[in-house]
Order: sequence, then structure tokens, then C-alpha cells
Amino acid sequence: MHTILAVDDSPSMRQMVSFTLKNAGFNVVEAVDGQDAFEKSSQRDYNLVLTDQNMPRMDGISLTKKLRENPKFKQTPILILTTESSDQMKMAGRAAGATGWLVKPFDPAKLIEVIGKVVR
Amino acid sequence: MGEISNNNSSAAGIDLSQFYQVFFEEAGENLESMEQKLLELNVDAADDEELNAIFRCAHSVKGGAATFGFSDVAALTHQMETLLDKLRRHELNPTSAMVDVLLAAGDALKAQLAVHQGSASTAPDTTELLFRIRAMAEGGNAPAAAPAPKAAPAPAPAVESSTLKSMPVPKAQTRAIELVVGPLEKPETADALSELFKEIEDLGTIEPLDAGRAADGMRRFRVVTTTSDSELLDLFTFHVARELIQLRSTDPGFGFFHENAGAPPEENPVDPGYGFFEPLPEPATEAAPAPAAGDTNDVAAPAPAAVAAAPRAAAKADAKAAPSPDQATLRVSIEKVDQLINLVGELVITQAMLAQNSREGQLNQQLLAGLTDLERNTRDLQEAVMSIRMIPMSMVFNRFPRMLRDLAAKLDKKVELVTQGEATELDKSLVEKITDPLTHLVRNSCDHGIELPADRLAKGKPEHGTITLVASHQGGSIVIEVRDDGRGLSRQKLLSKARERGIDAPDSLTDQEVYALIFAPGFSTAEQVTDVSGRGVGMDVVKKNITALGGTVEIDSAEGYGMSVKVRLPLTLAIMDGMSIGVGDECYILPLASVVESFQVAPGMIKTIGGSGRVVEVRDEFMPVIDLERVFEVPRFDFEHVSNIMVVVEAEGARVALLVDELLGQQQVVVKNLEANYRKVQDVSGATIMGDGRVALILDTGSLVRRSRH
Repeated sequence: MHTILAVDDSPSMRQMVSFTLKNAGFNVVEAVDGQDAFEKSSQRDYNLVLTDQNMPRMDGISLTKKLRENPKFKQTPILILTTESSDQMKMAGRAAGATGWLVKPFDPAKLIEVIGKVVR
Repeated sequence: MGEISNNNSSAAGIDLSQFYQVFFEEAGENLESMEQKLLELNVDAADDEELNAIFRCAHSVKGGAATFGFSDVAALTHQMETLLDKLRRHELNPTSAMVDVLLAAGDALKAQLAVHQGSASTAPDTTELLFRIRAMAEGGNAPAAAPAPKAAPAPAPAVESSTLKSMPVPKAQTRAIELVVGPLEKPETADALSELFKEIEDLGTIEPLDAGRAADGMRRFRVVTTTSDSELLDLFTFHVARELIQLRSTDPGFGFFHENAGAPPEENPVDPGYGFFEPLPEPATEAAPAPAAGDTNDVAAPAPAAVAAAPRAAAKADAKAAPSPDQATLRVSIEKVDQLINLVGELVITQAMLAQNSREGQLNQQLLAGLTDLERNTRDLQEAVMSIRMIPMSMVFNRFPRMLRDLAAKLDKKVELVTQGEATELDKSLVEKITDPLTHLVRNSCDHGIELPADRLAKGKPEHGTITLVASHQGGSIVIEVRDDGRGLSRQKLLSKARERGIDAPDSLTDQEVYALIFAPGFSTAEQVTDVSGRGVGMDVVKKNITALGGTVEIDSAEGYGMSVKVRLPLTLAIMDGMSIGVGDECYILPLASVVESFQVAPGMIKTIGGSGRVVEVRDEFMPVIDLERVFEVPRFDFEHVSNIMVVVEAEGARVALLVDELLGQQQVVVKNLEANYRKVQDVSGATIMGDGRVALILDTGSLVRRSRH
């Protein structure tokens, strides 16, 4: 079973994402911000990291950078969930090594559709 | 809850309303926090971190509101976020007027949320607030009153929401949208729309997507434009009625950086829409990144399509949300709760120790009464604390309607789901672990149990099969039943199948024993192997997983009428009913649920077979004997001693007899994790502290049974 690290500081978003993923048959590990996610990243292997961008302590792009420094996460798809789809954000996301982005708000079907493109 | 036909769900069949309550709490906290921070903000020397924190509050509320369809909240927070973003980027300097407006907006948001929660009936009019915040964000001073609406190029048709109308379009972005018109009596009417793009400069480009006309009277166009949806609609309504026009964003709302790790293969090798370092997105690209509902940089394009869709969702929310308005709840971290549970565990042990000591000596009456009270209070406290970790079974049941609907469609079956006792509570850790086994049972019922509609009708059954999920408390356990009215289990088929598989299955087996055969590894009764329930793997795993949780599974069935699987689980994994046994000077705990019987053995009853092990004969049945003294290498100084008590335990469908010195008693024990504090120990599942302060290991009966097989 694929395991996804889902990172969001908002409990309702985290619950929604987590529920959607579990419902689709994924194993989910939740983290409440980038720092928490980074700490959890070493605990096991993940098939995908799904992170919010704007979070306290460590944002999604910083998390992406830190994860990519770890050889274990070199090939892991990392998707950034963001309300900003500006070129500036994308530039930063790409430079950090993110795999892609998904604009908020999204509905559960959209989330599963996008994940289906990177996790098989 | 119950029927598969669940209207209140989003595209993926997930009922978003289940997250409303969490969102309301979270939004309430964010607004409180924002208010406090605004009040503390020193406008003359604003701290970056403070401004960031305020921004994040508005940002979080907006994200949730947009996701869960509270469009008025999203619209207002979007405007606030725009202003706050400029403040934190130092494009504007904070003023006390801004703080005032943001505070007023915070109040308005609380009022809007109250309406969504059902605790207020009228939402405040935020038109002026929106205007004032926008004016501030654009660098102007807030005028006293809202100005006249901006002149529209055509008579304004009814636009979905007033907030949408008041959103400005200062910085337009090129985007591609799909325009669908119809049904039209004369499809050529739509050509007038194409003409518009020729007549009006800068409107953009339009091209038909359907080679002229379609049989259904619908026309489809692809439009690339910088004009907002509402302005486009204004223009189009000159020629076609508003209700016949649909604008759909073709922006997928996501994308991949194909040179980065993990990206999928490019579907379209020429994909300039995701081009990154180009100074401007190409105007005509498929995926010109239009923000879905507001973008901090491009206030211009709060994707009208998304906003337009939102009021419908919100209206639904109004009708269906607020199942429990204003429930006072508190979110605490699970660590705190676990710490509390641990402390109560210690208290239970201390209380047990006192109780034990009090039996040994003479005590005065008052002390004895106090100890009795302590015992009762401890028990109540323990129950209350344990209940914090309890969550309702609906968390598990909620996933089944969607799953069954898909499954039934795949199998061409008609299935209704009925759930009962969703409010029954279970420990959080158990809920997580029971979900997979239950999912398997439900799938199994649908796949193997429920017949095809035609077969059901032929048997005089209703076309729709029914799968019933029932959760209830029975004593110290929770019982979850998965019941269906399908074809049931056939004793004869099960027996012959078992024999085919080389399983010993005499005719003398009781019905229960025959049904239990489906838990044997590699057993499947379906004549056709389907891709739904797999190839018969699974039921044995289901049983194993449930047993690992200290639970049991019972099957009952009537051939032709259906079957029922009852899963019985302990309410929590933190406390266990145990039987304490003594070996040498050591004390061990056996889970009471796995203890079958105990008896004294005479030396001759134990036989050694084939040099490989010892067995004991109990009522014509031979059972492997496990000498705990040897397994745990218990030191013994009395060399004359011979253990002569057997405790029969059952796990994973097999029984073994444990040879012990004495039976010490039955008691509830607080389970302490050994792995977390020490390491995994073979044959041991945990540890506990006894009433006298000694540590006792809790034996893993499953592991002992497996040991006997080797």
C-alpha cells in the first residue's frame, strides 16, 4: 500500500485530505507543519509528499528543499498545495525541486486525479 | 446515514459536511487569534512576524472556506488577505484605520460563520467592508461610503452573488475558458458570439470546439481572453439568454515540473502552459495558470467560475450543515491524552496496591471506607479518561457508502447499505486498525454474498440486496456486525471445498465449525474469482488482524438467506482483563479472552512424541505442551519442584497447554508497551505493574501457539 505524507497546518484541510486519501486506499501519515513533516520524514518511507505551502515554522517550499537534500527523497514525488498559482510561487516550487502543484481549493476528486498521475 | 444514495457529497463521493465542525472550530480560533494580534499590533513599528501571523490567520480561513464551499467567508477573507499580503511585503504601511477595518471584517466573518453554523439567521452585508478593504489594498484611503457600482458595458444580468460583483478586475490575466451555449433552437444563434470577438478589440479569440453544430443544440467554443467572466456574460447576454451560457475554466488547477523528481511522463510534449522562466505565460496556452479562487498577487482573477459555483455549495451547506451548532469542544494533542491515560494507569496500580495491603493487616473502619471510595473514584476517573480517546464508529462506517456504490456498479449488483449504532464509541487506535478488516468483510458481502438482481428476483427476494452494519456495546466489548441478505454459506459446498484443499473436514463438524473454514488460509467459495475480493486471500488475514487486537470473529448463516459476521473487540487496548500465573518466582499475565481452561496434570498425562516435543491428552485430544519455565528460562532453586498445572490457551485457531506452577488470580491490568520502553521480546506482548509493585510480562498467546507449530 502506498504511504503519503500529508502536511497542512489547518486541521480541517488535513482531515479532509487525509480522509480522501484513506478513502482512496492510501496509507496516510499526517504532519502539522513543515518542521513536523521533516521530523516524520526520517521515520519511514513515503511514496508521495503532499504539502501545504503557507505554514508556521516551516513552509512547503522550505520543506521540499530540505527533503530533496536527503537521498531517500531524491525521487519521491512532492506536490505543493497552494492558493497561489502565481509564476513566482511556481518558480520557487520548481527551484526547490517540487514535482508539481495543485491549486486550492480543490475537491477530493481532483486531489485523487492529480495523485493518480504521480503515484501508481 | 445509511442509504447508499448520498446526495450531500462531492465529486469523489466524500461528504464534505463531516469536516464542517472542525473547520468552524478552526476558523473561530483563527479569528480570535487574528483579533488578538491586530489589537497588539503596533502600527508604527509593525513586526514582520506579527504581520505574517495575521496574514496566515486570514489565509487559513480562506483556504478552508473555499474548500468547504462557504463562498461569502472566502470572498471576505480573500480581500483581507490581499491587504495583509501587501502589508507583510511592505508594499503598504499599516495604519490604525486598516486595523479598524480588519477588526470589523473579523466581526463580519464571525457573523457569517454563525449563519453557516445555524446559530444566527442573517448574514451581515459585507459590500461596504469589501470595498473599503480593497480601497486600502489599492493604496487609497477608505472613503466613507461605497461608490456606485462600476459601469458595466451592458445591462448587468443577475450575477450569482453580490460579493462577486463587487470584486474588481484591475490586473487581468490571459486565460483559456470553455464556453458552452445551449440548448438552442437555432444553433447558428451562437455564431453571433463569435462575431463579438471580431467587433470588439482586445476581447480575445474564440474558436468552435464542435465543428459547427451538435445534434443536442449545444455549441461549444474555446475562448482565450483577459476579460472577466462577468463582463463576458454581460456581453453574451445581448445575443443569448444568460441561463443558456456556461463558462468553464479549462485551467486544470495543477501542474508538474517535468524536470523534477517524481513527475509523471509529459502527456503533451509541447506544454508551454507550464513554462516557467518565460517572462509571461503564452496567451493561448492550454494551461495558462489562472488561480482557482484568488491569488495573492493577482487580485484580478478570483476565478469567477469557482466563485460562481460556490454559492450553490454554500446554500447546500446552509440546509445541511450545522449538525451540532456551537458544540463547545477543545482540541488537545494526543500526547497529552496519552500522558493522562498513563497517569491514571499508575493511579489504578497504586490503588490496587493499597487495596491488597489493606487485606493483609487490621485497618480501622474509616480507612477502609476511604479505600473503598478511592477504588470507586479511580474506576470512574479511568473510564472518564479513557473516553477522551473514544471516537464514534461513524468514522469507519462513513467510508462504506461510497465504496459499496462503486463496487455494486462494477459487479452489476444492486446494494443498499444500512448502518446502525454509528454513535457507538471505540478507542481511536482500534478504529484505525479495524477499518481494513471491516472493509474486507463488506467487500466480501457485496462480492460473494449478494446475488445478481435477476437471481434475487428469481428467488423471490427484493432486487436490492441489503448490507447492514451494526455497532453496539456488549459488556466490556464492542460488537460490530456485518450482515447481508445474500446467498449465505452452503455447508455442503464449504465441506467439499475444504476437502479439495486438503483440509480435514469431517461431516461431524458443527455448522459454526464449518463456517469457520472460510478463515482457513487460501480458502475461497466463489466459483468465479473476481478482482474484487481477490483470490480467497483475505479472510484468514481478517481473522488474524482481529485476533491480534484481542478480538474474536463469529459467523452465522442461513443458506439462501444471508450471513452475518460478528466482530467482537475490546473497547481499548490500554486495559486488559488478565489471568496472572506464577512460574518459579516470576509472575506472568495471560489475556483472559484466550484462556480456555486449566487443570492439574498427573505425571503420566504428558507424553513425549518423536523427541520433538511433549503433548498432553485432554478429552481424547492431544495438545502441544509449552513449559513456560523453559521458554523464559526462569531460574529455580527448588530442584525437586515439578510444575503440575496446565492452562489451555487458544489463539489463531489452535490450542496449546502451558505448564505453570500456580494460578494467582484474575484482574484488570494496565498494558504498558514494552517495545517503546525497552525492545520487542519474543512471546511477550507487553508488561504491567502488579498490585504489589512487581512487573509482570503479558504473554503473547499467538506467538506461543506459533512456537508450538515448529
